[in-house]
Amino acid sequence: MGAAAVALVAAACGSSVAPASPRSSSSSGAAPTASITVWWVTNGTNVNDMWDSIAKTFDAQHPGDNVTIDIQPSSNSYKQKLLTALAGSTPPALFFTWGGGPMQQYIAANSIQPMGDPGQSNAGNPSWKSDFLASSLQPVTFHGKIYGMPILGTQPVFFFYNKKVLSDAGLSFPTTFSALLNDCSTFNAKGITPIALGNADQWEGLMYLEYLADRIGGPQAFDNIQNNQANAWSQPAIQQALTDIQTLARDKCFNSGYDSVTYTNGSTDAMVYGGKAAMQLMGDWDLGGIQSDDPAIINSSGIGIGKFPTVTGGTGNPADLVGNTTSYTGLAAHISKAQTYVAEQFMQYFYTDAYATAEIANGQVPVISGTSSYLGSSSLASYLEPIYQDVANAPSFQYSWDQALGPTKATPMLSNLANVFELTETPQQMAAAMNPYQTSS
Amino acid sequence: MSVGSAAVRPGSPPAVGARMRSGGAQRLAADILGLSPALLLYGVFIVVPMLFALVLSFTRWNVVGPIRWAGFANWQLLFSDPLAHGALLTTIELAGLSWVVQTPLAMALGIFIAGRQRYRAVYASIYLLPLLMSTAALALMWQGVLAPTFGGMAFIARNLHLGFLDQNWLGDPRLTFYVIIGLVTWQFVPLHTLLYQAGRRAIPNELYEAIRIDGAGPLQTFFYVTLPQLRYTIVTDTILILTGSLTYFDIIYILTQGGPANTTLVLAMDMYNVGFAQTLFGYASVLAVVLGALGIAVALVLVRLTGFGSMRSGQEGIS
Repeated sequence: MGAAAVALVAAACGSSVAPASPRSSSSSGAAPTASITVWWVTNGTNVNDMWDSIAKTFDAQHPGDNVTIDIQPSSNSYKQKLLTALAGSTPPALFFTWGGGPMQQYIAANSIQPMGDPGQSNAGNPSWKSDFLASSLQPVTFHGKIYGMPILGTQPVFFFYNKKVLSDAGLSFPTTFSALLNDCSTFNAKGITPIALGNADQWEGLMYLEYLADRIGGPQAFDNIQNNQANAWSQPAIQQALTDIQTLARDKCFNSGYDSVTYTNGSTDAMVYGGKAAMQLMGDWDLGGIQSDDPAIINSSGIGIGKFPTVTGGTGNPADLVGNTTSYTGLAAHISKAQTYVAEQFMQYFYTDAYATAEIANGQVPVISGTSSYLGSSSLASYLEPIYQDVANAPSFQYSWDQALGPTKATPMLSNLANVFELTETPQQMAAAMNPYQTSS
Repeated sequence: MSVGSAAVRPGSPPAVGARMRSGGAQRLAADILGLSPALLLYGVFIVVPMLFALVLSFTRWNVVGPIRWAGFANWQLLFSDPLAHGALLTTIELAGLSWVVQTPLAMALGIFIAGRQRYRAVYASIYLLPLLMSTAALALMWQGVLAPTFGGMAFIARNLHLGFLDQNWLGDPRLTFYVIIGLVTWQFVPLHTLLYQAGRRAIPNELYEAIRIDGAGPLQTFFYVTLPQLRYTIVTDTILILTGSLTYFDIIYILTQGGPANTTLVLAMDMYNVGFAQTLFGYASVLAVVLGALGIAVALVLVRLTGFGSMRSGQEGIS
């Protein structure tokens, strides 16, 4: 059954990757059938269609079963809607989720169940665990049990820069923070915005804090915050990172009005590919965005990928990454046994070589093991291959702080950080506002 | 005509005496029966949720977990939460300033479109346009106009060399609050204009004729006839503006999320953040109760101060 499924998906995607070994459980005669609903967040038409065709394939191969994928809008309101649905009596069997804090909340409320293989009693320790990069399962592993399966690629954060703008200014991508500050004044003198930033959504600015804190104090700086160490926001590494952010703002490294610009409507991308700005710090999904707006600059290798610069005296490894390790699907707790069985069967379609190939065709970097061997098929291959190598070799891949901390801490963190960016709040004031949240209650 | 003709309608029972004898009990029962649909709806949709919020304010709850008793912890937090204090102040400023700006504007426009001038209907439809659009659409439209770099204002500033228009409208802590006041005014003045138009239309012409015979000019006419006759319209409208701006949320949510530097963080926005973003529904309920109490207090005080409750006709001896 599993092998046939894999073969069909592979055929649908036009790939010649050999089907993996059958992954379905020992056939137990009459497998339970059920209808399930899946809530996954939109990832562009291509990805949505890919999911939809897999659901159709599944239905065709499993008479009696029915999988309906409800594509959800990508917004903060999805999390709120999900919270309410999971607490109710008819939740979606599978639901799009992030690892870390939100998932911890679902676990504490018993609204999510650990994942296993269909018909097996190995919930929390599924056989497919070895099919994914180990780092990608870390954010969904709690008390030794796995609560989520990656359904999309990895999303590390880099500087994406306009090569022509840099070379016209006679500069190469800065590898140190002080070089970055020097470049800012060079760009400003030429009337070019050094860094495009759309901080109206607040998470864009967080990526600077994540990287600066890592470059200055290593992964430990954030671990202390996450582990509720008292006064962790007053740590020297965090304070210096916040001060450096204000230096960037004071030195006019960002576009004017950065606090009311949003990334999501494409205006900061437009600044970079349009040559109005030199660079932007963003998740690697940005490549797909630029590709759809300005394919020419992608095809001519006009966009460069830069690692976040090092900070003098910092202890962090320059190869450390931050970002969204990946996005996951969770398995709701308040569903029937048959629905659990069908959902786990359905998930077998999402760690095959065929699915990895389909993901790559859509510009993703899958976290499925062995991805690098066929990344070459992507139209973004020259960009994605180095990204995959960086992810595979990163000593630390810090999961986005807002996801890792969960909403109760993340909301005030984001709004205080926005104030730090606007220079209306000092690093000390932010620490004073955030330190009270360093309790485990 | 109604009372007299009903009494002599043929075939109607001679019920007057009987009803008077049957006394209070039956009357009360009938009153309650008649009121019950309204009371039921009011109870289910207004009173019960309010009581639920009050109960929730003494608990810890994140929607997915169990509801846990928290005693007075949430209420204590209210007194040590600078964000909530700032939000309360911003809310009061928004309500006060909205009243100061919207009332004269709406009154002037309302009186104008109640008149008989040429093209009045054309002007009126233009003024009323914002009222017809959904708030979300309005907010997104203004976001496009006010955005830096690629926004409409920035475009005009660049191409017509009007440098002062190139402001960080939605991101400047000194400016954004007033931008919001402006947008709220733009959105809601049409509604209040309608109220004043109706109020002005209801003033009998005899009053204007009388004062004209007495030799009054336009200013005196306004202060001795129009303004006093609009008294109850003003009270109604004031209650609408004040309670409306106390719970004002949508444009702020879409445009600024309470920023920059919390200068547009009103209580409703703070409540939303605490509840739906931070999932601290206990403390969010505290803010909701404060907001509800504030709204009721404002309405009660206004009704008391203005004698709105014992409203009498302002037109004795006319008609």
